Amino acid sequence: MIKFEINKQEVYGFSGETILDVAKRYNIYIPSLCYLSKDKPSKISCGLCVVEVKGEGIKRACETKIKEGLKVFTNTPEVKKIRKELLQKLIKNHYGDCKAPCHVPCPGGLNIQGYIGLIAKGDFKGALALIKEKLPLPASVGRVCPRFCEPVCRRALVDEPIAINHLKRFVADYGLKYGEDLPSIPPSTGKRVAIIGAGPSGLSCAYFLRLKGHEVTIFDAHEEPGGLLRYGIPSYKLPIEIVRKEVENIFRLDIEFQGGKVWGKDFSLKDLFEQGFSAIFIGVGARKERKLGFEGEELALSGLKLLFDIKENKFRENLSGKRVLVIAGGYTAIAVARSIRRLSADVYVIYRRSKLEMPIPQRELRDAEKEGIKFLFMSMPLKIQKEGDKYRVLTVKTILSEPDEHKVRKVLPAKGTEEWQEFDLVIKALREGPETDFVNYGKLEEKLEINPGGYLVVNNFTLEINVPGVFAGGDFIYGPKTVIQAVASGRKAAQSINTYLLKEKSPKKTITVKFDFSRGKRLDQIDPYYAEQFSEKQSKSPKELPISERISSFKEIYSTFSEKEAIEEAQRCLQCGCLGFHKCEFREILIKENVSVIGIPTKFRYPLNKDHPLINVELNKCIACFRCMRACPYNSIEMKIIDKGTPEEHITFYFKETCVKCGICVDVCPTGALTKKEQKVPYSLENVKIVKSVCGYCGVGCNINIHVRNNTILEITGENRPPNYGNLCVKGRFGFEIYKNEERLKKPLIREDRKDEFKEVSWEEALDFVAEKLSKIKKVYGSHAIGLLSSSKITNEENYLAQKFARAVLGTNNIDCSARV
Amino acid sequence: MGLAATTGTGAPSSSFDEVLRTETLILIGANPYEAHPVLAQKVLERINKENLKLIVIDPRKTYLAKLANLWLPLKPGTDVALLNGIAYVILKENLYNKEFIEKHVENFEGYREYILSEWDLVKVQRITEINPVLIEKTAMIYAKSKSGLIWWGVGLVEHRSGSYAVMAASNLALLCGFYGKPGCGAMPLRGHNNVQGACDMGALPYVLPGYQRVSDPAVRLRFKELWGTDIPDKPGLNETKMYEAALKGDLKALYIIGYNIAATHANLNFVWKALENLEFMIVQDIFMTRTAQMAHVVLPAESFLEKEGTFTNGERRIQKINPAVKPPGEALPDWKILQKLANRLGFNWDYETPEDIWNEIRRAVPAMKGITYERLEKTGIQWPCPDENHPGTELLFTNGFPTYTGKAKLVPPKYISPEEHPDKEYPFLLITGTRLYHFRSGSMTNKISTLKQLCPYEKLSINSEDAKKLEIYNDSLVKLKSRRGEITVKVEISDEVPPGIVFMDFHFEDTLTNLLTSSAKDELADTPEYKITTVKIEKL
Repeated sequence: MIKFEINKQEVYGFSGETILDVAKRYNIYIPSLCYLSKDKPSKISCGLCVVEVKGEGIKRACETKIKEGLKVFTNTPEVKKIRKELLQKLIKNHYGDCKAPCHVPCPGGLNIQGYIGLIAKGDFKGALALIKEKLPLPASVGRVCPRFCEPVCRRALVDEPIAINHLKRFVADYGLKYGEDLPSIPPSTGKRVAIIGAGPSGLSCAYFLRLKGHEVTIFDAHEEPGGLLRYGIPSYKLPIEIVRKEVENIFRLDIEFQGGKVWGKDFSLKDLFEQGFSAIFIGVGARKERKLGFEGEELALSGLKLLFDIKENKFRENLSGKRVLVIAGGYTAIAVARSIRRLSADVYVIYRRSKLEMPIPQRELRDAEKEGIKFLFMSMPLKIQKEGDKYRVLTVKTILSEPDEHKVRKVLPAKGTEEWQEFDLVIKALREGPETDFVNYGKLEEKLEINPGGYLVVNNFTLEINVPGVFAGGDFIYGPKTVIQAVASGRKAAQSINTYLLKEKSPKKTITVKFDFSRGKRLDQIDPYYAEQFSEKQSKSPKELPISERISSFKEIYSTFSEKEAIEEAQRCLQCGCLGFHKCEFREILIKENVSVIGIPTKFRYPLNKDHPLINVELNKCIACFRCMRACPYNSIEMKIIDKGTPEEHITFYFKETCVKCGICVDVCPTGALTKKEQKVPYSLENVKIVKSVCGYCGVGCNINIHVRNNTILEITGENRPPNYGNLCVKGRFGFEIYKNEERLKKPLIREDRKDEFKEVSWEEALDFVAEKLSKIKKVYGSHAIGLLSSSKITNEENYLAQKFARAVLGTNNIDCSARV
Repeated sequence: MGLAATTGTGAPSSSFDEVLRTETLILIGANPYEAHPVLAQKVLERINKENLKLIVIDPRKTYLAKLANLWLPLKPGTDVALLNGIAYVILKENLYNKEFIEKHVENFEGYREYILSEWDLVKVQRITEINPVLIEKTAMIYAKSKSGLIWWGVGLVEHRSGSYAVMAASNLALLCGFYGKPGCGAMPLRGHNNVQGACDMGALPYVLPGYQRVSDPAVRLRFKELWGTDIPDKPGLNETKMYEAALKGDLKALYIIGYNIAATHANLNFVWKALENLEFMIVQDIFMTRTAQMAHVVLPAESFLEKEGTFTNGERRIQKINPAVKPPGEALPDWKILQKLANRLGFNWDYETPEDIWNEIRRAVPAMKGITYERLEKTGIQWPCPDENHPGTELLFTNGFPTYTGKAKLVPPKYISPEEHPDKEYPFLLITGTRLYHFRSGSMTNKISTLKQLCPYEKLSINSEDAKKLEIYNDSLVKLKSRRGEITVKVEISDEVPPGIVFMDFHFEDTLTNLLTSSAKDELADTPEYKITTVKIEKL
């Protein structure tokens, strides 16, 4: 044994070992992108493993053999500097996206590329489970989401973006139709949480608290849960049935609902605490309508109220031939206009700014126009008068001022363009605003702090407010936003409440954006050659109702993709996000060495090579470590690099015919240059459960790590211990998809006679049947008329019981196994 | 059976890692490149470093045969003769380890006389069709090495004299003293993940867990105390005998767990007839296999990805498996099904977890007493492991052999020629085996699209010379007939097989290779002679 020091820590090594070998064994951090194992040294070192050896200066740890008394320092400024320079060189040749561009803007933080990948594979349940990790209301959101993701979809450079939201809706509907596995709930923590408001934020908060094992009760002023989803959003977009089923699924997790209970009337915050709730979440939305402040404004009907009444069938007048004016151009206004249109009215929407400035997706606007809604852009009302049944509205054209210091252009009336118009109905649907009446609801409520905008003061990271144990989220604190944002804030609050209840320290989040590579932040920044490698395949939209049918009913406009359509659409995904994210040592080292990715290349150089049946090769991400080549026991990788580390670097790489597809090259690749085709879901290690187990094929008994997320196996890797030391074969690494196979036996089957068809029965019935038959045969013919063949596939415990069953229960030694095959 | 006759135990002698330390490896009747790829990787690691002497004994020029120092393409089924021939050279040239034999081996003289009088190389050449020079070279390389390892596969075993072949191989190791030392051993490569465990657990007609003989009254008494029930003393039927009994009408019911016999057993027509003759048949499996389709009751079981328990690999390493995903539908682990049935039949088994069962096994099998679930969570342990502080046993026989005398025995292995020989009517000899992308009957691997696409259907591998004579090409469809059945199959021209020999796997239910295979069986163990079937090929 040789004794020496690393960072003043005493360490021991064997003669012939390098500093890096010993450091690896002691888990002392010395970065290296090319190190594989002691007996597979790198021919061209990546150089990152530099350390300072006292008296000898800077050395590569992978090349320096240990000596008695050596003093090694791994983190001196000099060492850091060299590493940084080397890393910066690598950065300049690394072209790719760490994270899928669609994932970045999603307020819900959904793993979009992942669920699309699972849909493409036909694993709809897996896709749904992945969505539900973050979003318990996908069928609803899949109908109303403004889709922050689709506009950034890179597929637009090839033909059209992926219909992401329709895909989400497809799997959600699939789950509602065929049932889905409930997530598992841990044992109760004994803590009770009250949630005020059963809208998207409250439901989401309840769902995620339940997943942590807390007891949850939701209070809502309405009789049914769902909030705006249930009562506000029109049925042509979101049918009540869908919301009911989806909400029911949430309540299946044993969440209590108390409907018809109004905060401030039926209870106060203090009451809730006194009833034994340890924390409270307020998510009551923003329902108060703003005022524009013109004369006669109060004569206009409330848009939001009208939407509620229509959905509750309280307002179903036939407005045929009537002229209706809707004031404003937001979500509520368009929803009101399109609803009224369905009651046969002639609908006008008056909006102060231009078409492009409307705060809704243009898709929404096009739909409205198709349905015959007329728009008065750059106009505003100045006065409303009522004359008998008619409304007279004075409107004026608008102009926009020059931008002020905040770059805002104000709306100004254009003098001389005033005009009186006559309508049968005027509806106002301005952006809803904050409501502060709640300060009068009780003693604790009095203390609630309100900001100048009229909203509650909350901690944006934890959603805590100034009363301990009370949290708030959704529209209630931010004003009207989208459902997905409300869900996200409910989830965030659930996390904070969990931390609060269990008195844990809130997990520290390191912000890693500066280490994210990107092929281009905007579509127009992407190298056009990148898109050229993909062939065109147009997106298909799901079927929609013809206009005539749309404007005469509240039937849902868009249908759901069929399974085939969904798979085809999902297969269009370009898989921008790196499928090697979880194994990327390069990124890990950049973070540890704090080297941000500045000067990343924008030039696309190597097309994605999909020739291998199981492995994708993307040389744009190759850092030329040669690990793949060295790890391959079959010498099946041919790889050459010229001008390594320079802008002229060129890599050639191919698999030889001798490749047996064992996949070790992918597992050792320190970036996403080599990835597994079937993996589909980009992930980080903290988001999977790694189950240590043993391969179930041959008698070698390789140790495996099963990467599981929900009930989906993302991949299997070899564990570095005997007998396989990280190695596996093609079956061990890629042959695991028996677990979701539709042909798996799921229920016991019996038949009296071989001529009969099998019938599915309960376990009780099947076991009774077997027991009866065996007893009879034993009685009539004796024990020796029965035999048992056990399996060399099942466990020791099971084989033990099988032979015990034969000997002790049946009373025979007629037991054998497939060992001789 | 062959191993126990020489070393006193059927347990594999060594760790797989001995291959990283050995000077010479003899691979006989094994193709780890396709059947045990991770072991092939270890061999390749040595070959890449150019520091291993590799000798491959196989009729087929397998991937490793091509890389070997010596390849002995023996006539199929003549392994005993060849191994005895190697022993002949070792004895004749005084290459054996006298010290080891004196200390650890019995019956040297008897054995020596048998080999020297019966197995001269002229005779060996006549039987095996191997040039004596190759046999001499093999003996020299192996016996003169500092360490030697022999691995065999079912290619050695699945013959009429399979058990004798195992003895013959073990004899070589005994002669050279290649047991109980690093880099040494003679052991089988196990086909299934838990062949070792199934045998260790006593899923055999003649032994209780831990190879404790049913015929021994003291053993039966011990188990009676453990289980609270009498242990039947009448010897049980082995698998082949069960089929025979079923055909005769003596066996009325068969309960089959995770074993697709109606596709993988030799001479399927015979097996099917036997199964059809049963009054009652239960199959417990994860898929609706060919066997399940013949049953009266099919019970859905969990796969290895869904349950907890232990497997024992081919080097006696007991390892823990853990559930990764939920089982489909109402599928249950096999142990729960067995327990529920036992409960219904009046036995109050109440194991709550596989660990409960394991703890009973520890009481039943002294060699496993020291292995706890807690220890297994950290790493696998090779039995024997008699107490909780024992690290487990990588190498057996470091201090003698588990026999009454503590010595191993050289047993004269008898050669029995295969039942079928190519003749005018059936001129080709069919060998069956495994292909890389599939596993056994294919009931799992055919369901996995990635693997299926890599090897989508059964192929008949045939030498280019033979193909030329028959005027058949790659992908030609041919009819293959044996004395017992016929199938149609696509052709793959491959010079891995020599002229006169053809090769098929048995991974596909739509091409049941085992309709053809032989009815002959090992004289001692009743294992079918899968590896030798004479066939004729008809162009379609």
